[in-house]
Amino acid sequence: MSTTNSKATIAANRFGLGAKPGELELAKQNPKKWLAAQLTPVVFDQNLPSSNDVFLQLSKYQAIKRQNKKNKVSEEQDKKDNKVRQKFIQTTYRKLASDTFVQSINSDNSLAWRLLDFFSNHFSVSANGNVMTAIAATLEREAIAANLFNNFEDMLLAVSKHPAMLTYLNNERSFGPNSKLATKSKKAKKGVGLNENLAREILELHTLGVKGGYSQADVIELAKGITGWSVANSHKEDATGFIYRAWGKEPGNRVLLGKTYKQKGIKQGEAMLKGLANHPNTAKFICHKLVKHFISDNPDSQLVDILVKRWQETGGNIKEVMLALINSEQAWHVEQEKFKTPREFLQSTYRALPQNTIKFKQLFFTLNTFGQQPFQAGSPAGFSDEQQDWDGGNALMSKIDWTTLYASRIRSNAENIMNNTLALASSHNTYKAVVRAESRKQALVMLLMSPEFLRR
Amino acid sequence: MKRRQFIKTLGASASLVLLQTPALAAVNKLVSKPKKIVWVVLRGAMDSLHTIVPITDKNYHVLRPKLAPSIANDLLPLSTDFAFHPALKHMHGLYKSKQLLPIVAVGSGYPRRSHFDGQDYLESGLSSLDHDTGWLGRALNEMTANTKALAVANSVPISMRSSSKVSTWYPSRLKDADENIYEALMNLYQNDEMLSSRLQEGLNTQEMAGNTSTKKKGKFVDLAKSCGKLLANNDGVDCAMLEVGGWDTHNNQTVRLNRQLEGLDQGIAALQAELGEYWQDTVVIVATEFGRTAKENGTGGTDHGTGSAMFIAGGAVQGGKVLGDWPGLAKEQLFNNRDLMPTTSTFSWIGAVLQQHWQLDSKTIANVFPDNPAYTTQLIS
Repeated sequence: MSTTNSKATIAANRFGLGAKPGELELAKQNPKKWLAAQLTPVVFDQNLPSSNDVFLQLSKYQAIKRQNKKNKVSEEQDKKDNKVRQKFIQTTYRKLASDTFVQSINSDNSLAWRLLDFFSNHFSVSANGNVMTAIAATLEREAIAANLFNNFEDMLLAVSKHPAMLTYLNNERSFGPNSKLATKSKKAKKGVGLNENLAREILELHTLGVKGGYSQADVIELAKGITGWSVANSHKEDATGFIYRAWGKEPGNRVLLGKTYKQKGIKQGEAMLKGLANHPNTAKFICHKLVKHFISDNPDSQLVDILVKRWQETGGNIKEVMLALINSEQAWHVEQEKFKTPREFLQSTYRALPQNTIKFKQLFFTLNTFGQQPFQAGSPAGFSDEQQDWDGGNALMSKIDWTTLYASRIRSNAENIMNNTLALASSHNTYKAVVRAESRKQALVMLLMSPEFLRR
Repeated sequence: MKRRQFIKTLGASASLVLLQTPALAAVNKLVSKPKKIVWVVLRGAMDSLHTIVPITDKNYHVLRPKLAPSIANDLLPLSTDFAFHPALKHMHGLYKSKQLLPIVAVGSGYPRRSHFDGQDYLESGLSSLDHDTGWLGRALNEMTANTKALAVANSVPISMRSSSKVSTWYPSRLKDADENIYEALMNLYQNDEMLSSRLQEGLNTQEMAGNTSTKKKGKFVDLAKSCGKLLANNDGVDCAMLEVGGWDTHNNQTVRLNRQLEGLDQGIAALQAELGEYWQDTVVIVATEFGRTAKENGTGGTDHGTGSAMFIAGGAVQGGKVLGDWPGLAKEQLFNNRDLMPTTSTFSWIGAVLQQHWQLDSKTIANVFPDNPAYTTQLIS
């Protein structure tokens, strides 16, 4: 295996989502340059609904429901209407989530899509309940993709104001105990008040990290700083999406990590988030996570330092940090240290064996079987990015079963695909297993289940 | 004479505490059926105050003006001071038949309020986090070579790491691949230690699970049922781990916790039903990473707290009383003025189960829980 060829394989597999036919040839010329050129915006199917569209549609269904109640329509009709609503919710979720998946496997800049997956998982929201099921996938489309190559503070602010995040972590009804609402309105008696959920996860998961040096008091201060950051009720208000409710904002100065924030209104929370985004511990936390995601479960501290340095030089510019990763020597070692997550395994499989169409139902069934259905991490920490959480005996068996089924439906020349994706030399065990397999099906299973294809 | 009756006779005639160690050890040798343990982790921090309600603590009602009345009328009485949430019907029955011990105000010793760290800590059982070794894995290493353990999950959870006795199983609706594929892969993995051992493990578990695969997937009651099947025979699994998510009730807690507790209750009932006669030799330990704020929050829920509760259930349990020391909910009695104060250690209770049920000696327990010696309270009958 020549050195250039091996660098191309690394570029396509370690940094990207696996090679499509012909990609190794392209990467071969100048693997680093080839990757750098992929740091360009991701593009979605623009015909799919936005979060605003979803809210308006849900609001229409709500109106029908109220109308039904008022008019005392038959139970049958009500059930029918409810079914239509449920179908809209499920279809929206599936269409949006599979659009990301399908675009990523067809893409020429799979590095950018991989980065989108990384931040989408970093700011994980789960599709639980009606509203979250319908809007979970809009977070990555509207707040993350739009800021993928901007400074991290832009992304953090966009995410923290997005209705999916505000709803998922219960900030939409978090109001200050001394806000106008609590002191002057009758609602106060109903027990309106603070909810710490979003503030805690911003500190623990989105910025500083659990060991980032914040205290319980900081959690409460940040929670107060972002009181009133809410979601419009499109039935009662002439608006959709993010809304700032000044009457729910906790008044006064806030002290976060020893720094006083004297701003008023929405500016206060924004300033606090900017402070967090640019905190040195945030740079360390996210750069460590990036190296862990792309390179190794046990990140090389020198490599992390290179990224942190670039982060600090550029005000947390994500594109510049990614360029630093691509251009570092430490990222190009020949050993494959990363075990693909189920999602990445499927993405690389579909890239290696392009399909005309991918059926939504099959895709969700497969991801569900592998334990990584989109927006079903079930926790704001997202899916794990470590081998030991994906490498169980049962997980391997499921992959073998799925791959065997898939290989039996497809007629492909496994040797060609091997050359297109891994470019293995004849000295490899896998090479021999593929070319000597007893059937086409077995050859393909050997390739897709090989140690080299399962890792990158 | 049946074993349980024998022990009951013993209990009636002499102090159980004195007799406990040597006598029970002798009795256990006569029993051929393996002693089983099922470890259930509730992920997301169950609100213990809404689950095992401190009915006589006046502050409880003050702190929870909306949450407390929502269940007050239907509580299931336990002792003078505590009652179960109305959804725990089966577990209440177990309590009444002395097969369940609720323990209040417990904590793992984890000092902060992150779910993910808190869960890792609960599973690791050490005073500093180690993702590569879990308390149950260390305990399993002390058992005989043919002890079998199973995680109902796609991968080995931290609790069971560092033991080679563990396999994983999770229901799948996929058709099995052909024999020749497995053989060819075995050959392909010959130089890859990790993949070859995982494949071996996967094949072994597949054989063991046989046709227990359920069509439904992921619901706790179904997982518990399958788990019971895998445990229920003399050559079956000796120890299993289950996990249930969904306990992070920051808002709308009344509805959400009702659903969660119903699921837990049905799961325990399904596990018991599938275990059949093996239930008599089984201990189920249920715990969560930490508790929630004593005071309800502004959105009908509770935020991350400290002290929580756990359950020890099973035919082998000497149940029917609420254990743990109640610290009270007055402001000065709370941890950091906000959370239920943990007064006993989750790990010391688990240590006591391991000691009494699996007969691990104190020295061994010290390897499993280096910082939390086992309590001597009798938990197992």
